Amino acid sequence: MILPATRKKQRLLAGCLTVLILLLTTVAMGLGYASIEWNRIIPTLLGQGTFKEEFVLFSIRLPRIIITLLAGAALALSGAILQGITRNDLADPGIIGINSGAGVAIAIFFLFFPIEAGSFSFFLPLAGFAGAIVTSVLIYLFAYSRKSGLQPMRLVLVGIGFSMALSGIMVVITSSAKREKVDFISRWIAGNIWGTDWPYIWALLPWLLILIPFALYKTYRLDLLGLNESISTGVGVSVERERLILLLIAVALAASAVSVTGGIAFIGLMAPHIAKSLVGPRHRLNLPIAILIGSFLLLLADTLGRNILEPDGIPAGIIVSLIGAPYFCYLLLKK
Amino acid sequence: MVRLYTEDLQISYDDRLIVKGLSVQIPDQKVTAIIGANGCGKSTFLKAVTRLIPHQAGKVVLDGGNIAKQNTKKLAQKMAILPQTQEAASGLTVGELVSYGRFPYQNAMGRLTTHDTEVIDWALEVTNTSEYKYRQVDALSGGQRQRVWIAMALAQETDIIFLDEPTTYLDMAHQLEVLELLQKLNIEQQRTIVMVLHDLNQAARFADFIVAMKDGEIIRAGICEEVIQPDILRQVFRIDAEIGIDPRTGKPLCITYDLHKGDNRK
Repeated sequence: MILPATRKKQRLLAGCLTVLILLLTTVAMGLGYASIEWNRIIPTLLGQGTFKEEFVLFSIRLPRIIITLLAGAALALSGAILQGITRNDLADPGIIGINSGAGVAIAIFFLFFPIEAGSFSFFLPLAGFAGAIVTSVLIYLFAYSRKSGLQPMRLVLVGIGFSMALSGIMVVITSSAKREKVDFISRWIAGNIWGTDWPYIWALLPWLLILIPFALYKTYRLDLLGLNESISTGVGVSVERERLILLLIAVALAASAVSVTGGIAFIGLMAPHIAKSLVGPRHRLNLPIAILIGSFLLLLADTLGRNILEPDGIPAGIIVSLIGAPYFCYLLLKK
Repeated sequence: MVRLYTEDLQISYDDRLIVKGLSVQIPDQKVTAIIGANGCGKSTFLKAVTRLIPHQAGKVVLDGGNIAKQNTKKLAQKMAILPQTQEAASGLTVGELVSYGRFPYQNAMGRLTTHDTEVIDWALEVTNTSEYKYRQVDALSGGQRQRVWIAMALAQETDIIFLDEPTTYLDMAHQLEVLELLQKLNIEQQRTIVMVLHDLNQAARFADFIVAMKDGEIIRAGICEEVIQPDILRQVFRIDAEIGIDPRTGKPLCITYDLHKGDNRK
């Protein structure tokens, strides 16, 4: 019953976005502190570059680009699912405490657990992931009422409360810490895509490989959850169960992304919203678009941030927020 | 034995008991109307019977099994429900919305079979909404939209259809249209219809069986001649009604009424 024109538009958009992402990836491969000549990128990819070119491309730039693309996709999908189950266009993974939970866990881990440098970088995302999961479970338990089940609005409110409380805790934890350590944490919070090595890709990729198809498989139910609860129950959707499953998917996606990239907000808000305004409310059509937009936006933000202010650059999370905050205001005003 | 009945059903919101031990048998293949004053618990009762809200005690039995223990998707193949308030379905076309009624029969991807499309087209046709198939639901008028929602319930192909005040917000002609459609479904396809109605005369005219409720309890349940009576209406609605016979249908008709004066606890 979907108009063929809408389907066609979606395919066209998906094609355009893929091309855009490929172009941006090429640009991002060339740009940076040690630049690679454009005409050297393809030979280097094919294994015919100099040692320096190969090192820059394969060990520095490519992993970072891939991480950025994956994280952007995960955050966008997570946001799209959350907006669907809460029936609130302003929902974002940050709202269910992913960013703040992971942040506090990372801060605690970083400041209080003495671990040697080698294994440290692998435990850090694990700590972040655990923090995000624990926080969202707590939010869920607080938002759950035995009488009325999980009410989306309550989830959002409890989530905002938790985020604020956790930010407060973060200030307390970091206020007594050493300067250099605080620096690292504050850059993490700002979303500086710190995990830029192949192992992080292997840590993030499986989540996406499993959860993206699973989410796409659930799109029809997600559409039905967008209707009045009585209607969706009436046609036979197990509303509570589906909400919980989808919430779990969203949490896992966002937690796995944030634990590698640092606190990035707004991608999960903007990407699904732009996708919906482009191809309409059917998740079957707008989820793939949201995923592509998320990847594109985060890569764009990171590439810009990396090159605006050398040598350290501006964290991608800040660039995203610079675009995202006005967009958020625009959404609020439009409502 | 009837297919659907409740036994000692108790429903409460928070700590307030709304429906107090209600037992009723819904006659099969008949039109049943539930009437009562605002806040008497009739909508709550309907929601509990259709498992939209949980009940605290007693049971709702459909085909020998308590609905609280039945698979919700399987239930959706047996009964459809049209709730009172439907939010606008932003951006959906009429055809899509009606296709959601096929959910109980579909696999997870929601692909429509030929049978599905046939049923959807049939539902659109009987509700006179075929011409809107590719239009946005939001762009329709209240009456058109109500018929689309009914089409969605029909697409579920259930033997039992529940409707919570299906005629609200409609003008007189559209109200009749909806009720006649339901009557037709009952007569031609033997569907069991259960609806909450506000209008006494519509209940008397279209329902075979009327349940009159007050304060969460049944005052009277029976055929309309038994229920549409001055003393019952006095108890249920606190009105003093003059009952006549509808010259066209031969059914009881509330010709005029006043607020009942005097002891309303009688």
